[in-house]
Formats: sequence, C-alpha cells, structure tokens
Amino acid sequence: MEMVVVAPPAPGRLEDLRRRFFATPLQALLSLVSLAIMLFLGWKLLNWAVFSAVFTTSGGPEACQAAAGACWSVIAARWRIILFGLYPFDEQWRSALACVTVVVMTVLSCIPAFWTGRRIALVWGTGAALYYVLMKGGVLGLAHVGEEAWGGLALTLFIFVTTCLIGFPLAICLALLRRSDLPWISRTTGLIIDGVRSLPLISILFTFAIVLPFALPQWLQGDKLYRVILGSALFFSAYQAEIVRGGMQGVPAGQEEAAMALGMSYWQRIGRILLPQAMRNALPATINQFVISFKETSLVVIVGFFEILASGNAAYGTGEWRFAYVEVYAFIAMIYFVFVFSLSRYGAFLERRMSVGER
Amino acid sequence: MTSSNSSQSAGPAVQIENLDKYYGTFHALRKVSLTVQRGEKIVICGPSGSGKSTMIRCINRLEQHNGGRITVLGTELNDDVGNIDGIRREVGMVFQHFNLFPHMTVLDNCMLSPMIVRKQPRAEAEATARRYLEKVRIPEQAMKFPGQLSGGQQQRVAIARALCMQPQIMLFDEPTSALDPEMISEVLDVMVTLASEGMTMICVTHEMGFARRVADRVIFMDGGEIVEQAPPEEFFAASRNERTRQFLSQVLGH
Repeated sequence: MEMVVVAPPAPGRLEDLRRRFFATPLQALLSLVSLAIMLFLGWKLLNWAVFSAVFTTSGGPEACQAAAGACWSVIAARWRIILFGLYPFDEQWRSALACVTVVVMTVLSCIPAFWTGRRIALVWGTGAALYYVLMKGGVLGLAHVGEEAWGGLALTLFIFVTTCLIGFPLAICLALLRRSDLPWISRTTGLIIDGVRSLPLISILFTFAIVLPFALPQWLQGDKLYRVILGSALFFSAYQAEIVRGGMQGVPAGQEEAAMALGMSYWQRIGRILLPQAMRNALPATINQFVISFKETSLVVIVGFFEILASGNAAYGTGEWRFAYVEVYAFIAMIYFVFVFSLSRYGAFLERRMSVGER
Repeated sequence: MTSSNSSQSAGPAVQIENLDKYYGTFHALRKVSLTVQRGEKIVICGPSGSGKSTMIRCINRLEQHNGGRITVLGTELNDDVGNIDGIRREVGMVFQHFNLFPHMTVLDNCMLSPMIVRKQPRAEAEATARRYLEKVRIPEQAMKFPGQLSGGQQQRVAIARALCMQPQIMLFDEPTSALDPEMISEVLDVMVTLASEGMTMICVTHEMGFARRVADRVIFMDGGEIVEQAPPEEFFAASRNERTRQFLSQVLGH
C-alpha cells in the first residue's frame, strides 16, 4: 500500500485576494481606504496629464494657462532645445544621429554575441568615430561645431559613455594595483583611490575644467570637455575600483592557487580566473555605480556644459513658458527613467546569465 | 619498486635539502630533507600544523621557502619565474577543496590550461580532456558546471584537470578530507589506478588503507620535521618513534 500525499490545491485568485486583504474587518477597512486613496490620486494624475492637458502649440502659452491640466505644448515647442541644447538648429539632425549611434553602440556591446575583443573594438571604434564626425563636423561637407556648442541628450550620453569607457578599465587597473604584493604600490594606489573618493565630484570637475589649464602646457590641455570627462572618469574609477576589489575578495584564494598550480601566468590567472568571478560578484554594485554615474552627468553644468537637465532649464527659463517647468522636468525625468531602467533590466539579465552553474 | 619512466632522464623527481620555512616568526619547516625518486609513491601523514601541506606546497612554489634547496626534475626552484612556470607545468596538484573554476564547465576546466599554457589546439585539448574524464569515470558530466556535481565527482574532475597537463609528478593535498565518507573511495580508486600506472605521487592524507596499498614509503611529520619514514608494512607494524605510535593509535584506533 502506498500513501499518496496530495498538496493542497492552490487558492483561486479571488480566494487569494480575500486572504491577503480582507481577512479581518479592520484589514478590509484599511484595504478599502487605501484603494480609495490610490484611485483618487490616480484619477487626479491622469486628469492632469491627459484629460485636461494641452498638447498642441497652436494656442501658445495662453491656451495652457487657461487650461487646468498639464501644458505639454511646452515640450512640443521646445523639445529641440531639451534634446540638443545649443547645437546649431539646422545641424541638429547630426546630434540626433549621434545619440542613435551611442545607443546602438551600447546595445550592441551588451549582446553576448559581441563579447569578443575584435567585435567590441570594431563596434566602439566605428561608433566613436561616427559620433565624433557627426558632432564635430569639419569634414565630409559637415559644418564645424565646437565642443562648447554640444548639448542636451547627445552631450549627456557622450559624457556618460566615455566616462565608463575610460573609467572601467582604469578601475580594474587600480583594483589590481591595490592588491599588489609590493607595499609601496598597494599603499600608493590606496592613497589615490581614497583621496579621489574623499573629494566631491563637483570639486574634481572644477579642478579639471578651470584649474588644470594653468598647470599644463598648452599642447596637453585639450578641450575643456575632454578634461571634464577625464575628471569624471577618474572619480568613477575610484569608486568602481573598490567595487571590483570587493568582488575579488569574494573569490576564494584556492582559485588562484589552482590556476598557479596549472602553470598559468599572472595575466592568465587575472583574465581567465580572477576577473570573471570577481565581476560576477561585483555585478549588482557595478550596475548601481553606472546608474549613479549616469545621473551625475548633470553636474557638468557647473563648468558650463548644457547637458540635458541644464538644457531643460533653458527650455522653460526664457519668458513665455516660465510657468511650465513641471512638464519640462517630467519630460526629462522620463528620459532619465528610460535609460536608467533599461540599465537596471540589463543588469538583471546579466545576473541571470552569470548565475548559470552557481552553487 | 622500480619506476616505469626512469628512462626519461636520470636523477630524482624531487630533491629537498635542509628546507626551512617561516610564517612570520613561526618555524613551519625545520631543515627538512626528502628525496623522491621517479615513479615513487609517497604518503605523508602527521597531526595538523605539522608542516606536511606546507612542504608539498613548496614543491610547486605555492609557498616560498626561506632556506635550503628544492630541485624538481633537475631544475632548482628559485626566484627565476621561468623555472617556476616550467616546474608547475610538470607538477600537477589536487587540493582539499577541489578548487575547480566555478564559472566554467567541467570540460572547459580541463581544457583551459592545456590550451593557454601548453598552447595545444582546441581539438587536441578536448580529446585529452575527454580521455581523462573517462579515466576518472565521469565522461557524462563534461558539460556540467562544477557546482552541479557532488564532492567526490568534483574531486575526480580536479584530478582529471591536473592530468590533462600531462604532468610527471602529482601532488595531493588531503584530497579526501573535505568529502562525505561515502565519496572517499571513488576518489581513492582513481588515485590507486594512477599509482598503478607508474605516476610519481606525493600524497598528504590520513587514509592509511590507501597508504598500505600504494605507498612505497610512508612519512610521518610532526613539528615541522620528518620524524620517521619507512615502507608501509614496517611503518604500521613497527614504528620506532613514540610520537608516530601515538599518532597512529589516534588515526587507526576507531
């Protein structure tokens, strides 16, 4: 005789709802009140954003002021300033294409099929060249546009991507140097990392943009934009180096011993054994750091660059649309959200992918 | 026992002379000398902290010795990185905690080093890897990740991984100490087979049955010194040293 044990049937959806939210009279009351508040707020928001909102520019700012809802006409009227900043109006298609280039480049390099040295180099090489030619011009019949005129989304993306591109390898170098066996190397690196981390980003940006030109010879200065990117990459790498180091500490010492015993050289051990496992450990914190860096690009306004947030300020700040700042910020928030949320989802995808075979 | 591969070149496999090793002020190895002939199987036992692991880890330079000389296959171990890499290619090691690479499949674990260190073509490395996985009796696990295997299976993969480099000497550092009791014999069986094929083996282990079956010499260490060494029959039947007898009664007594 075999005993057959049957699991109790899963509760139906209605039954589940009742158990979770209406188990006692007090709980039922709380549930209903919460529901009412949420519906009320939801309705208010929807009414503001959609039903009572003004979408066309035909009535001008006056139509907006008369309406009770959101004034999306400010976006319709000023979106080009928000997205492209001070970039010359007739050339803004180039800035748009440059944005697309950065996004395509980033998406491509996120696909596992592109994770070989040659393919990644190809993607970034062509991408960077394309972006630079599109934005700067001066060749192929494109009018020259100096870096000081770059702005909006194209500038935000450019600063973010280059910061990560320079900062990430730098972070790995710093993390490796910090665990060096030679005390004078590890201590010096530790001093640099802690030094950079203890300074506010704004002061670093300011130093690189304004102070550095006094200390460097003319030929070494480069444009202010590139100095600012270098400063931001340095700041990024100091934080990321500690994240990578934390990831390395999570790899058992036996892993490197096994690699040594198999005759692998230092770089083979680092590249094949230590870093892949360290990066897996460090992934959640790394995604976090990327997200923070994306949002910190808005600080470059302090040294006179009109990235997307500053461009947004300029879009409503001039006279007639002065009242419509909420709508402009909502629009910019949405753009930030799209990028940051995709970044987080990509992080989650990577975590799932890397957890293959995990104990 | 005579070695089967002594024809390659003359001289002992490992020669350790007056080895000293300190951890800070702790004197872990005290003027230890040991010569292992090619094809010889050595079992090293002793209480924890006696320096047995330290000694075999010095042989492939996972630990750096502070005094004395180690010569492996005719090459002296010193600060010359080329010498160290050359010796590590010829000396395989199996660890207590397996130390498989968790981010690679079993097959990739076995193929990586032959491909990047010995520069073998992929097809050749894969054929070798599959042959050794067959030998340790887990060919069907090749595409799994280490985390999906039992401890005994992982240790057998670790042995196969070391063998894929086709080493002349194998070091075993307590290979069964981290295993559940029912998995110990599957690992020991593989080691016995390996011994019967003439591999030079230096094993730190407390498996005295294994020592009886395969060892040419059993070495007892205590306090950083080799206290006694003898062929297994003599070692177990008539140890001359008091500390050895005490240790044996603890290991065999239950």
